[in-house]
Amino acid sequence: MLATLLSATLIALDGRVIRVEVDVAPGLPGFTIVGLADASIREARERVRGALRNSGFVHPPRRITVNLAPADVPKTGSAADLAIAVGILIGSEQFTARAGRAALIGEVSLGGEIRTVPGLLPMVAALARRGVRRVIVPAEGADEASLIDGLEIVPAATVADAVDALRSRRHPGPTPPARVELAPMSSAPAPAAQIGLAPPLQPPDLADVRGQLEARRALEVALAGGHGMLMIGPPGTGKTMLARTIPALLPPLSDAESLAATIVASVSGEGPLHELVRTPPFRAPHHTSSYAAIVGGGPSLSPGEITRADHGVLFLDELAEFSRDVLEALRQPLEDGRVTIVRASGAATLPARFQLIAATNPCPCGHAGDENRCTCAQGVPERYVGRISGPLRDRIDVWVTLARMKAAAMVSGPEPESSAVVAARIAAARARQHARLGGRVNARISGRALRAVAGLRATTSSHLAELADTEQLSGRGTERLLRVARTVADLEDAGDVGLAHLEEAARWRPPATRPPVALAV
Amino acid sequence: MPASDRDALAVLLSVQGLGPLTLARLVGRLGTPSAILALAGAANAADRLVDASRSDAGSWHAMPSNVADALVEAAGDAPQILAEVRRMGVRVVTPTDPDYPRRLLGIELPPPALFVRGSLAALSSPHVVAVVGTRRPSPPGRRIASRIAAALTKAGATVVSGLAIGIDGAAHAAVVAEQAATVAFIGGGHARLFPRAHDRLADAIVAAGGAVASEYAPRVEPSRGTFPQRNRLISGSADAVVVVEAGARSGALVTASWALEQGRDCFVVPGPIDAPTSAGCNGFLRDWHDLARIVSGIPQLLDDLGLLAEVALPGPGHHRGDATSVEIKSTVKPPTARAMLSGRSEAEQAVAEALVHGAVTVDELVAVTRRSLGEVLRALTRLEAIGLARASHGRYEPAGSLASADPVAA
Repeated sequence: MLATLLSATLIALDGRVIRVEVDVAPGLPGFTIVGLADASIREARERVRGALRNSGFVHPPRRITVNLAPADVPKTGSAADLAIAVGILIGSEQFTARAGRAALIGEVSLGGEIRTVPGLLPMVAALARRGVRRVIVPAEGADEASLIDGLEIVPAATVADAVDALRSRRHPGPTPPARVELAPMSSAPAPAAQIGLAPPLQPPDLADVRGQLEARRALEVALAGGHGMLMIGPPGTGKTMLARTIPALLPPLSDAESLAATIVASVSGEGPLHELVRTPPFRAPHHTSSYAAIVGGGPSLSPGEITRADHGVLFLDELAEFSRDVLEALRQPLEDGRVTIVRASGAATLPARFQLIAATNPCPCGHAGDENRCTCAQGVPERYVGRISGPLRDRIDVWVTLARMKAAAMVSGPEPESSAVVAARIAAARARQHARLGGRVNARISGRALRAVAGLRATTSSHLAELADTEQLSGRGTERLLRVARTVADLEDAGDVGLAHLEEAARWRPPATRPPVALAV
Repeated sequence: MPASDRDALAVLLSVQGLGPLTLARLVGRLGTPSAILALAGAANAADRLVDASRSDAGSWHAMPSNVADALVEAAGDAPQILAEVRRMGVRVVTPTDPDYPRRLLGIELPPPALFVRGSLAALSSPHVVAVVGTRRPSPPGRRIASRIAAALTKAGATVVSGLAIGIDGAAHAAVVAEQAATVAFIGGGHARLFPRAHDRLADAIVAAGGAVASEYAPRVEPSRGTFPQRNRLISGSADAVVVVEAGARSGALVTASWALEQGRDCFVVPGPIDAPTSAGCNGFLRDWHDLARIVSGIPQLLDDLGLLAEVALPGPGHHRGDATSVEIKSTVKPPTARAMLSGRSEAEQAVAEALVHGAVTVDELVAVTRRSLGEVLRALTRLEAIGLARASHGRYEPAGSLASADPVAA
């Protein structure tokens, strides 16, 4: 007998509804899955067989054929396990399902438990869009699925639960948990399991970073305007420490951003999620990460680090050590805010509106600028930072060089500001930009829009030209100067960009690639 | 010298391995540079050139055959070589020309010709002093080089050096900041300027009325051997050599040795005995204590060089211990940072003063000036824009004429 059920699969970040047709026919016992199924789906045979047997059902010794439709959509992952298992039970008439279109999502274990799958959220959303009214989901993913309105979420912990839910008129067990409100995460402490296996490290507070006033200010400006930033400095100067304070400095995501971030988190397997992701993502991939890990890809077009950092910060420590291919691949996303991946199985465009924060040593040994410690040959330090190609340099608005601090400055010196104080200034500056630019930050507006919002007076314009002249800036360099100055002005709540803002912004330009010549006064 | 000989000389000097000695023997045998070039264009040229270069003393003084081959090749290339000389804006100055530095005529093996961008007039000044040192100086060393060069310039002396990065560059830049003429002898051809990082400095030296000079034709690659050879010109064109900082094996010590050999005064800035950047200086002072002299201060240096207009010597009643506190009324005392920046904002003056006093990071500048971070950052931008400060690896240092400012408050 034929059974037809709905399930879903994942293509890049989008859920796609699939129909699972199970035919249990007399004949030589066998189990075939057709319909552009990948290896993980073909392995479903073994999981389903074990799950049925260990749940007290019978795996029928008949000819079982599973067709996943539509046939042209490549299917990946284990989300259809449950639908296949239940389809076999209906097909072999071990129970009779009530009428009505039901959908099932979940991976089964050999013991018959139902496990959650990455991308549950967009899959449920796809089913909702298709008009499905009832979906059976893994119990542990019920919170995540409940974020979608408009359909009934039935949690099931085992295959037997799922059968019960389909057989009876009333669902068994407890009613699904109440919808999670769109409240900030801080109001209810999230369970540690929320982000993967390891609970996220508590970001250090800026008050713990002593000295490095210049770099602290640069970080504040960069975060306030969404500017790309590069910190250059020897090891032990606090580059990574500063970067790790970023999660506590960024304002929470807006509703729309939050939904997008939650979908990415779901697809990335950070689930089960219990509520919308409100904190901007902070991704810090290691410099040995592969191209596919950073950019995204693989047979199922899974999102890479740049997509997982969407609406957040991508921190690349030891930037010059990343492979050239990876760095080149950052150009398109930095420009367009998305990345297009083309594979034999199809093309996908994934969002990647990340803010790039990077750090690098000044030279391979790390001590350039310190005559007694740098062991690099002449010209090597220049070439080291030169590995960062021109187009990528152009996307970095804020440059800051850190020097090793003297111990005295670390011990005495003024008491550093705390993250909360700086975060408040950043949030206020962002709010000003959002009000003015319709939800965009200074780093992401066009040159023309920038000039319109800069409010340059005639005298300030001539100062800008003068600064650009003495710094020998290109057109792009001048625009970068103005862009950063706009953010400095926003931090001060100034309506127009003034000379003082330009002068501060000039500090954050790239260091000269050649030693400057001190010329006449 | 006729124009044809001058051109011929330019071609001959582009041959690597053809030194002043061989050239002199060839000219002695064949008459003029043009004649040598003519022979190089004739049949069986290489062998005949080797013959012509043979000295009376014996055949082992003859030029190697590969140099002779290179000479023949250069003769064929002559039009291109001369075109390159003209394209680079380089003049060929020979000993018969009035602006050939007369001090160089007194040294052993003066260069047969100098390839010059700019004007060598400054080398005819009554006082010429070379300022040389390591390519990897400490920040204080760099500052001392700037201050010495600026003080020498203000006292009317011409500064020569080697355009290398480090001490040489700091000395040249300080003179350029005074809008005065300085001369750089480079260790290769003009078309192969080394280091590349100093091509803007080279242009600035020429623009300020000085010169970049080389004894090599424009196409000659700088190499391990050319720099020590060039050093004899730095010392030879000066009355005295000042070594600011030199590591144990620094090329600046070669220049200092040349100076002693050529009968020039040699001054060495001493340093801490455990500073690697001063190891060469201190060692040189120890080895040549009877010839090399110590730089104990800038006014004292000017005094020793005879550049001070007015020197008050200690009276007869002074104790021996007071001798170091010789009162010197310098007419060329560098101005203080504040005096240099009169008319600019208070914040700029404060930051400039702190820089001259040795504050290097923004943290230190904020602490010393007791001004807000924003004020310090803006002042740094303005000081940089007028060339008085520069950033390097997250640290800041005085530049231009501020590098020669007197850290002692007036």
